[in-house]
Amino acid sequence: MQPSLSGYLLIGAVLFTCGVVCMATRRNAIGVLMGVELVLNGANVNLVAFSRYTTLGIDGQIYSLFIIVLAAAEAALALAIALNFYNNHLTIDVDKASSLKG
Amino acid sequence: MFSQLIQNLIDHTVETSLGYFQAELWLCGTIVVLLLARLFSLDRLLPGNVLALAGSVTAVFAAWSQLETVQAEPGFSETFFTGLMIQDLFSVYFRLFLALFLVLTVALTILSGIPDGEDAPDFYTLLLGATIGMMIMAGANNLLMLFIGVEMASVPSYAMVGFLKGRRTSSEAALKYVVYGAGAAGVMLYGISLIAGVLGTGDMSLLADRIRIVAEGGVAGLGDAEVRLVVLGVMLVLVGLAFKLSLVPFHFWCPDAFEGASAEVGGFLSVASKAGAFALLVRFAVSLSGPSSAALMSAFGIGLGVIAMVTMTFGNLAAYGQSNMKRLLAYSTIAHAGYMLMAVSAMLVMQNSPQAGALGQEINACIGGLLYYLAVYLFMNLGAFAVVALIRNYTFTEEISSYAGLGRQNPVLAVCMLFCLVSLVGIPPFGGFFAKLMIFGSVYKAGDLHWSMYLLLAVGGLNTVFSLVYYLRVLKVMFIEERPADSRPIRLPSLERAYVSLLGAFVLLLGCAPLLADGLTLLAGEAANSVFSAAVTSR
Repeated sequence: MQPSLSGYLLIGAVLFTCGVVCMATRRNAIGVLMGVELVLNGANVNLVAFSRYTTLGIDGQIYSLFIIVLAAAEAALALAIALNFYNNHLTIDVDKASSLKG
Repeated sequence: MFSQLIQNLIDHTVETSLGYFQAELWLCGTIVVLLLARLFSLDRLLPGNVLALAGSVTAVFAAWSQLETVQAEPGFSETFFTGLMIQDLFSVYFRLFLALFLVLTVALTILSGIPDGEDAPDFYTLLLGATIGMMIMAGANNLLMLFIGVEMASVPSYAMVGFLKGRRTSSEAALKYVVYGAGAAGVMLYGISLIAGVLGTGDMSLLADRIRIVAEGGVAGLGDAEVRLVVLGVMLVLVGLAFKLSLVPFHFWCPDAFEGASAEVGGFLSVASKAGAFALLVRFAVSLSGPSSAALMSAFGIGLGVIAMVTMTFGNLAAYGQSNMKRLLAYSTIAHAGYMLMAVSAMLVMQNSPQAGALGQEINACIGGLLYYLAVYLFMNLGAFAVVALIRNYTFTEEISSYAGLGRQNPVLAVCMLFCLVSLVGIPPFGGFFAKLMIFGSVYKAGDLHWSMYLLLAVGGLNTVFSLVYYLRVLKVMFIEERPADSRPIRLPSLERAYVSLLGAFVLLLGCAPLLADGLTLLAGEAANSVFSAAVTSR
């Protein structure tokens, strides 16, 4: 029996929601970045599922390949920035990033 | 058969696509040379800033020659790279705009010396890379290119904001920017996956047509589950774009990033990333507008109008209490994003009204006004940030109070700041006034179609008056207060004086030199025309 499109979309939606909740509630910068990865992968699941079931076709898989690469690039940069933040503040708690406000 | 296809693809790429992609390719080449020069220790011989300046000047010439060819053929519009990107006057206008802005930014960094010799190749690699991303945003014709363009513009920007590695504020600004930015990009991507999946295509020129097909299949309007998914996707994509445009409620990063980053980076982000995002927003909005999505898109237009009202009011109110000049300019950037969004809102309301056919001229005028505004905004905002950067090199601070008495001590700098700030308020005869007038005029015309546009116009007008107060406060400190006796004198070398005078002169000339202003208006109008004609021919 072949699983239906809505099953895949449900997984994508769950990943997306988990990611957004993770981004919104985590105080640790690395945790926030993990939330971002969940959101990106939710979109990836959607795209690959759509490419199997709709006229989007192979485009969807190409999209997800690009997204995997872009996500890696973004994660590398974000981790470098988190490391730099740690060097200056000795913490990666995003709540401690509060010297700029107003 | 297969080899024939490949051969056709290669031929088309080499003969057409690469030519259209010239300016970006020059910038890519410059990045490679920058990195190789460092690798082979040639950076003493070929300093990074000289290479970057040469590369960006070449990109300007490449974009200029494209402008001449495209302008010779009215209504020219052609997709390239197998339909991923589009070449029309609109994208060429932005390409030229961004390349020109890149030259001015590189010149500013050379004068103010913010990346030292050691770091220059890294900094210029990021700067040029971000510019390429913004050029891609302006020429995107596919949802994938939309996302790649946004990411290519954002990722180097995060690093540039954190470029002052040892500073606590800089690292904090970069962290906030990257966390918000990555989140917004993820949300936008989820929206893209929904749009592309439900409509079954990523090609932006087919979107309106596919929406019609989807709407015909079920109940039209919001009743249909598929249409609702597309609307959700569009809203998620707008979240990503609103983040890039720093529209309220997605503006948190903007003041922090600008305060933590150096003034040069702030100037670059405030103009270039805004220009790229507006180009993308216009393309996206035009590609979604069609006969069957008219009610939906005009509702989006009104929604954008509400966001514009909130954004400019918030930006202007928050700018009152600021004591740091970069932070004040950041809030002013937010307010100006609101003014520019008014044009997009008016365009959507007019284009999706039943009378759209008769309103062609006015719809064009909206986007023409937006393009003119961006061009003036380039000079006035970069001018203001340049003055901040140059003063910082002498006083080591960016507090407004440290500008006391500059009017007497360094009249050139102070008068340039005066021109930029007065133009940002929108007082004649400066360029900012005419730009604002064009946008307000378009919104007034859209008022005939929906009453909320009159409200938008009224809020825009009130905000212009509000904004006068905080810009004038800076000018009062500069011109009326006495310079403290113990403060360091600011004596600019002639080259730096020439640079700020040039920017100040353009701000003035775009307002009161009819030849320059008319030429730009005409070009902006033609560029606006091309984005709509492309949408019509592909339908």
